[in-house]
Amino acid sequence: MKVSYTWLQTYFEKQLPPPGELGELINSHVFEVESLEKVGTDTCLDIKVMPDKAHYALCHKGIAREIRAVSGIVLKEQKIKAVPKDQTSPVEVKIEAKELCNRYMARRIDNVTIGQSSDLIKERFATVGARVINSVVDATNYIMFDIGQPLHAFDADLVKGAIVVRKANKGEKVELLPETQTIDGKIVMKERVVELTPNDLVIADDAGVLAIAGIKGGKRAEISSKTKNIIIESANFHPVSVRRTANRLNLRNESSRRFENEIIPELAGDAMSAVSSLILESSPGALFGQITDEFVKPTPKRTVTVSAPFVMGKLGMAVNEREVKEVIDATGSEIAGRDGEIIVIPPLDRLDLRIPEDFVDEVARIKGYDRMTSVLPPVLDRIQLPVKSFYVSEKTKNILCGAGYSEVLLYSLVEKGAYNIEYPLASDKSALRESIVPKMLESLKLNAVSLDLLGSDTIKIFEIGKVFPESGEKTVLTLGVNLLRKKKGVTAESVLGEAIVMLEQNLGLKLITNIVKAGTSAVAECDFDGVVGGLSSSGSLQSLDFAILPRDIKYKPFSLYPFITRDVAVFVPKAIKPEAVWQAIEKTLLEKNVMDLVARHSLFDVFEKDGKTSFAYRLVFQSMERTLKDEEIGGIMTTIYEQMKQKGWEVR
Amino acid sequence: MNPQTRGHLHPITSVIREIATIFDKIGFSVVEGPELETEFYNFDALNVPRDHPARDMQDTFWVKPPKESLEQKERLVLRTHTSPVQVRYMQSIKSDPKASKIIIPGKVYRNEATDATHEAQFFQIEGLYLNEKVSMAELKGTLEYFFKEFLGPEAKIRFRASFFGFVEPGVEVDVWWKGNGEGGGKWLEMFGAGLVHPHVIESAGLDPKRWQGFAFGGGIDRLVLLRYGINDIRHLYTGDLRLVSQF
Repeated sequence: MKVSYTWLQTYFEKQLPPPGELGELINSHVFEVESLEKVGTDTCLDIKVMPDKAHYALCHKGIAREIRAVSGIVLKEQKIKAVPKDQTSPVEVKIEAKELCNRYMARRIDNVTIGQSSDLIKERFATVGARVINSVVDATNYIMFDIGQPLHAFDADLVKGAIVVRKANKGEKVELLPETQTIDGKIVMKERVVELTPNDLVIADDAGVLAIAGIKGGKRAEISSKTKNIIIESANFHPVSVRRTANRLNLRNESSRRFENEIIPELAGDAMSAVSSLILESSPGALFGQITDEFVKPTPKRTVTVSAPFVMGKLGMAVNEREVKEVIDATGSEIAGRDGEIIVIPPLDRLDLRIPEDFVDEVARIKGYDRMTSVLPPVLDRIQLPVKSFYVSEKTKNILCGAGYSEVLLYSLVEKGAYNIEYPLASDKSALRESIVPKMLESLKLNAVSLDLLGSDTIKIFEIGKVFPESGEKTVLTLGVNLLRKKKGVTAESVLGEAIVMLEQNLGLKLITNIVKAGTSAVAECDFDGVVGGLSSSGSLQSLDFAILPRDIKYKPFSLYPFITRDVAVFVPKAIKPEAVWQAIEKTLLEKNVMDLVARHSLFDVFEKDGKTSFAYRLVFQSMERTLKDEEIGGIMTTIYEQMKQKGWEVR
Repeated sequence: MNPQTRGHLHPITSVIREIATIFDKIGFSVVEGPELETEFYNFDALNVPRDHPARDMQDTFWVKPPKESLEQKERLVLRTHTSPVQVRYMQSIKSDPKASKIIIPGKVYRNEATDATHEAQFFQIEGLYLNEKVSMAELKGTLEYFFKEFLGPEAKIRFRASFFGFVEPGVEVDVWWKGNGEGGGKWLEMFGAGLVHPHVIESAGLDPKRWQGFAFGGGIDRLVLLRYGINDIRHLYTGDLRLVSQF
């Protein structure tokens, strides 16, 4: 929620700390402050109000109360100028759906001027990013941002008969107030007609729907430049009903957001007085009617019992009764008495204060977590082994890694499967995988391309993960092999077969696998829940002998550009060590300043013949920024060959 | 060359192993749970009521069961956090409740647009300590121990007041990260934590008057990304050995 610094200041006599400092105070004790931005002479604080405190804190007054609680700076008494009443006729109101509307207040105000709002309102709206419309609509929105009660204004001359709060009829339609939308970068007003259901609560008159309760007004009784007389609504609607309708119609806004967080019906009265006074300021000639107030059920008073020892026990830090009482006072609660424990009456709108633990939270955040010391929990006498599924899975990973298989973690969300996502974000992530096989084949193919970079001729990978066939969630082990350089008598399948036999020997049980072949690849998948079930027990973590990865490994991002592979093989006298050959190559690369293009180098072949040794090096060239050209690499290789010849070595 | 070179473990696995080893030293043992959850375990039992704005804090993948005729009693979700396993664990010991220390590593899902720092699937670590008397100071002690072991003795943590339905009080756990070489350190939001809400203990079938607990949870991917300087979270899940073979 966007909050104006100068607006907050109106709640205090004393100067608030500067915006940066205030933001820090709120951030560490109240809510996360997502940003702090200067707007003209004001500062906008973007505050993430948490859902447990949104009952009262989604407004400037709510944030001011929180500042009072954590800073001790006293709140200024707010004076609202009373307006005359009985100057015009009252509004007739009938609540039919009492379970969805707890209070409906309406007041007719005649002879209003629909003009521009004051500079003060305009400036504050600019800070919080609200749209300025006209003096009446702005006044209703101003009160919402100020004290948290959404209000609505109708053109009284366009309302036919009594106002009825009822459920919509099936198929009933309403044309909504136009909304601003950005289309191709331009802001345009967009009108919309929506169809309602009997689950939606509406405000209606003799001619039909006037507004969707708590969410959006209809176009029919809209305030326009021609409006002379108005009806102000200050009401309380059911949070779940508002949330469901707003969600279904995709109409979530500042008003629905406040109702769905449950505001108390008592707030409607304060808001009606405040908005009347504000309208009188912009329309000095306005005539006010009596307020019609249909009030179904007031908020009951609650008591919560707390004690300093209880708070101390939960926090594990020293807290005395005086401090607990200070916190109770800071929340605006009253102390009703004590009977060993303190009996607290929280303010009606502090719906977040219901159980003793809620006051533990208040003490911690108001007194500050920074003074909390830390201690380890006691040692328990019972040592528990890791769950068997974890133990067996980690043991299997160790065995496979030892056999040269690398672990991959692939996407669980795929295009097609038995279980589908409601409202998927992307069509290739619209179902849960039934098997790991398809993604593993993709991975084998993807890695085949980087074979030279990886310095290998066979891709061996595995994953132990969850799959979701129609019968439900289960764990599988999937192994994949891509054999790219042909070897006599060896196939991807035979390599896989060896791994499975080896695994069976190590685990001491038979695996039921299903092998899929595709080109040079083969993939085997087996039911891993069966493996876990087949083993008798778990074991300690120590027995798994985890090797801890060094903290200082620095990941090297890989290039998105293709690489070029070149081999160089030389015959050298027997006394020459392979390091000397590499140094000679490296020297050329350094001289040509192309060392950063060498993504990988390896000595891949050594043999002796006629008293000489042949060393074959493979160089893989790749740039992080561009596609390398053959000629460029050819040039580098020629220089390397020449350098070698100069040393008297024989380039093969 | 030796054809039998060792394979590489995925860095997520390595980090889970390291976390499990650190917590093992102070008596926490590993527990697991399903990825496809019911609305009850993922939300209701965790004191995140239906039709409540608190549900919006996590973008959820709702899942349709295979056959419409197979009417599920509960709506299915891909778990948005590892916290449902807290409830499942407490239920599993309810006939014979006992003090317990567990950690829960696992894959979780969020229905949000992906970019270099956001993925629809990622890993979390969850912790639960259950006993007849449990305090926030013990939570702080446990997390301080963990981060000093994991990041180094200079690591610091701080609590900031926050809200998660399943804990009361609830805090964000910020960790002082010295950075990996370049520039100075900074506070990073790492975990959510707090004392297990009495409603959660009750919904798991334990007596909240007798049993208390602390719980914490946070992303593992972020720890992996930060520690090793990986520039894009999406590289973790494409099965690309150019990443895996660096670890």
